[in-house]
Amino acid sequence: MIYKVISKPEFRAFIEALVTANTSYGPRQVDTDSHGEPIYQFMPVSSADDIAFDYTVTTSSAKHLLMPFRDELSRFSFSDGDWKQQVDYETPPIVLIGLRPCDISAINILDEVMLKGAYPSPYYLARRKNTFIIGMDHLPLPDCFCKSMNRHTVNHGFSLFCSDIGNRYYLSINSAKAFSCLKEFCLTDPSYEDNCLLIERRKHIKQSFETNIEVSGLPVFLDVEFDSPIWQKWGDKCLSCGSCAMVCPTCYCYSVEERFDLDLRGSTRESHLYSCNLVDFAQVAGGHNFRPRNGDRLKYRYYHHYRGFSANDNQQICVGCNRCGRTCLADINPKDVINDLRLEGESCVTCVSPSPAKA
Amino acid sequence: MRDMRFTIPGQSLNREPFIDRIPDFQKKCEVMITDRGYKCKITNIVPLTSQEKLFLLRIVDPMERELFSFRPGQFLMLEVPGYGEAPISISSSSSNQEFVELCIRKAGLVTSAMFEARQGAMVSIRGPFGTSFPMEAMRGQNVLMVAGGLGIAPMRAPLFWIGNHRDWYKDVRLLYGAKEPSQLLFNYQFEEWKKVSNVNLMTIVEHPDDSWKGRSGMITALFDEFSIDPDNTFAIVCGPPVMFKFVCNHLDHIGIPMNRMFVSLERRMHCGMGKCCRCMVGSTFTCLDGPVFDYWSVMNLKEAI
Amino acid sequence: MNHLGFKLDSIKIGSFDFTCCEGCQLQLANRESSLPDFLALLDIRNFREISSERHDDYDIALVEGSITRSDEIRRLKTIRQKAKVLVAYGSCACFGGVNSRKNPIPQEELIREVYGDKHIETMPSMRIADFVQVDYSIPGCPVSKKEVEQIVVGLVTRSLVSLPRFPVCVECKQRLNTCLFDLGEICLGPVTRAGCDAVCPSGKTPCLGCRGPADDINFPAFSQLVHEQGLSTEEMREKLAFYNGFTDYHDHEG
Repeated sequence: MIYKVISKPEFRAFIEALVTANTSYGPRQVDTDSHGEPIYQFMPVSSADDIAFDYTVTTSSAKHLLMPFRDELSRFSFSDGDWKQQVDYETPPIVLIGLRPCDISAINILDEVMLKGAYPSPYYLARRKNTFIIGMDHLPLPDCFCKSMNRHTVNHGFSLFCSDIGNRYYLSINSAKAFSCLKEFCLTDPSYEDNCLLIERRKHIKQSFETNIEVSGLPVFLDVEFDSPIWQKWGDKCLSCGSCAMVCPTCYCYSVEERFDLDLRGSTRESHLYSCNLVDFAQVAGGHNFRPRNGDRLKYRYYHHYRGFSANDNQQICVGCNRCGRTCLADINPKDVINDLRLEGESCVTCVSPSPAKA
Repeated sequence: MRDMRFTIPGQSLNREPFIDRIPDFQKKCEVMITDRGYKCKITNIVPLTSQEKLFLLRIVDPMERELFSFRPGQFLMLEVPGYGEAPISISSSSSNQEFVELCIRKAGLVTSAMFEARQGAMVSIRGPFGTSFPMEAMRGQNVLMVAGGLGIAPMRAPLFWIGNHRDWYKDVRLLYGAKEPSQLLFNYQFEEWKKVSNVNLMTIVEHPDDSWKGRSGMITALFDEFSIDPDNTFAIVCGPPVMFKFVCNHLDHIGIPMNRMFVSLERRMHCGMGKCCRCMVGSTFTCLDGPVFDYWSVMNLKEAI
Repeated sequence: MNHLGFKLDSIKIGSFDFTCCEGCQLQLANRESSLPDFLALLDIRNFREISSERHDDYDIALVEGSITRSDEIRRLKTIRQKAKVLVAYGSCACFGGVNSRKNPIPQEELIREVYGDKHIETMPSMRIADFVQVDYSIPGCPVSKKEVEQIVVGLVTRSLVSLPRFPVCVECKQRLNTCLFDLGEICLGPVTRAGCDAVCPSGKTPCLGCRGPADDINFPAFSQLVHEQGLSTEEMREKLAFYNGFTDYHDHEG
C-alpha cells in the first residue's frame, strides 16, 4: 500500500481520464423521492460530471456488476444428432467508482465465497480480475451499522481508496496498476498535517455511527433460537418479495435455468440471482417445499447472514449497509429483528429461573 | 488545468492482478471448473418400472473417460442439453471405467426428458461431486445396508464395492423395502448379490399383492429377524427421510454409534459446487458436505429431516 | 431433438378470441425479429392475425378474451372439445380482465349508456376457466410475447416452462428501478406475479396487477402496507379489481 495525497480538481481529472476510455460505473442520482431526497444508483458513467461524488448511498449495491442478475453459464448448439457446448466467460475491464468500505468488504466476502474452496468460479474470477475499484469513505447514515459488523474500514480488495480530508483526498493505493495510472497526475506525499487530518477523519466517521447491533455470539444464539416464535412474527410481516436479496451486496444465492432457443437449434444455461425469501427457493422435484412458511424463509436469510455457511468458514456475510432495511416495504430490518431475537431470548431465561428475591 | 484528452485505456488496467492476494488454486484444485461437462452417449437403457429406468452412459472422449473416477455415494449433475441439469446419484461400480450407470425416476423436467431419450442419445455429465461412504473405515467390520424405494440406486455403488472387496468385510446384510412388489428394483440382480457377493439380502414390501410370497410390513420389521453386533457394525441407510429417521432411531436404540451410521440426503442442487445455496440444510451444503452424512451430523443439522 | 433420439412435431395451433381487444393476438404477431422462428414451430390452423387459413383440426387452442354472451359459451365449449390442450392467454381470458369493470353495474344501465335504446345481449364478464377446463394460463395485459414464445417452445419440446412464482419486485429491483412507494405511489408489484420484466414500474407507472397474484402472497401484510400509505380499503379494492385478478382476496378485511 502506498499513500499519496491529491487535490480534488486533480482527482477529478484522473477520474475523467479513466472513465472516458473505459466502461465505468459510478453513483448517479436517478430520482428524487417523495420527501425531496435524492436517490442514487451505480449506473454507467461517461464523464466525471455524471458522478455524484458526494452521494449518500445507492439503493442497490454494486454486486450485479460482478455477479450479474442473469449470467450465461454455457451454450449448447445442436446439429446432426450431436451437440457442442461453448463456455464463454471473458469480459472486458470495468471501472467501479465511489464504492463505500462496506461495498468493498462485501466484494471481499464474495471473493471468499466464489473463489475459495474446491470449485472457484471462473465466471466470477473473470469479472473480478478485470474490475478496477475506487473506494471512497463517507459519513455514516443514521441507519448504517457497518461498524457493528466491523466493516466500516477496509484495507484490501480495492485498487484505490480515497479518504476525504477537506479540499484533498488522502489516497491508499493498493495495486500497481492504480499507481501506474496515477503517474500522470500530480500527487504529493502525505505531510504530517495530512496524516493528522486522515486520523481526524477516521475518528469522526467512527464516532458518527448512530445504529449499533450487538452481534457477538450471534451464531450460537441463532442456533439456539432456531425454533423461536420470533421468526414467524417477522415472517407474518414479510411480503416474500425478494427485494432485500436483490439490493444486498452479499446475497449471492442463485438458480440455474436452461432455455431452448426459439429455433430449437440450441439452448442457453443461465444463472439467475434468486432469493431465499422467494416461495419456491427450497422446493424440490415432486413439489415438496422444505421451507413453506414466510418465517422459515426469513429465518434462513438471517441464518445465512449472521451465522454464516461453511463455504466461507462460517463467517457472517452481512456488512451492515442496511440496504435491505431501507428497501423493505414491510419495514423489516436487521437491527429490529436481531434486537427482538435477543430480547426474546434473554427475557426467556428470566422466566425459567426467577430471581431469588421473588421466591 | 490538465489536458483532459489524456485517457487510461482498458489494456493498462488489465495488466496486473486484481488484488494483492490471488486465491491459491494449486492447493485445493487443479483446474477451474466451468460448466463444461463430459459428453456421454447413452449406450443402453434398461426399463425397471413405469417410473424408473437404468441408463448406461459412456463418456465419449477416451481421455475424459480415463479421468473420470468416483467413490461410492457421490453424485453427478446430469445435463440433458436443452432441458437442463439434475443431480443424480451414481449407481454403478466405482471400478467400472467403461460405463456410468444412473437409475432415474421420472420426477421433474430433466428426468422426464431423459425418459424420452433413446439409445445413442448424447447427454453430458459434470462431476462427480460430494462426499462418499467411508468404505475403507468399514474394513474388518459388519456392514448393514438399509435401502427404501429408490434408495437402492445410491446403494448399488457401495454394494458393488463390497462385491469387489468382499474379504475386507465380515457380515454384509442388505435390507430392501418398497411400497409394492413391482417397485422392487434390480430384482434380476438379487441372486447375484446373494451368491456372488455373499450379501444376506432381505426384502419386504408395504402393500403385498397376491403373487408376493415374501415378507410384508415396514422395513423396521426386519430388525426383529436377526441380531446386530452394535460394536462392530457400520450402517448405510438410503431412502426417504421418514424411513431413515425410523431406521436410524432403531439402530441408535440397539447401540450403534451415530457416527457409524451413514445416510444420503437429497436436495435440489443447482450448481453442485457449493455456490448457489439451493441445497442448503441448516448451514451445510448437501452438494459439498454431503450427500453422504453420518447420522450424528444430520442430527445436528437444522431442517434435515 | 436429434441428439436425444426423438423427433418433435410442430404443433397444430389455433387462436381464438372472445370479448377482448385482440391485443394479445396482435402481440404474438408483433415481435418481428423472432416471428419467423416462432411461426416455424407452429402449424397454424386458425389464427386471424397471422394467417388467412381456417381449419378445424388443432391440438392446441390459444384462447383470448373473456366470456360475456351465451353464444360465446357454446363456441368455447366446441373449441375445448376439439383441442387437446387449451391455453387461456391474456388477463381477460385468465381473470375476466378490464371487461369485468362492468360487472358491479346493473346491466340495463350499461346497455343504455353504451348502446342507447338498441337491444343487446350481455352478461357479467367471466373467465374462460369458469366454463371449461383450462390447461395453462398465461396472464398479462397484453401478454409478454417472450413468455408466450417460451411456453410454446415448452409445449413443442414437452418441457413446460412454468410462470415465475415470485412477485414483480424481483424483476423490478433487477432493473435498478426506484421503488414507486418511495415516490409516493401505490404499486401492486409486491403481490403480482413476475414475468413481465417489471415493464410498468420501469416506466414509472405503478403495477396494476395484470398478471394476477404471485404464489402464496402475504396479503394481510400488503393491505397493512397500503393502508399505511393512506389508501382506504375501498380504494385498494378498486385498484385490485382493475384486471379482476385478485378476486380471491376481495373479501379480505386487511
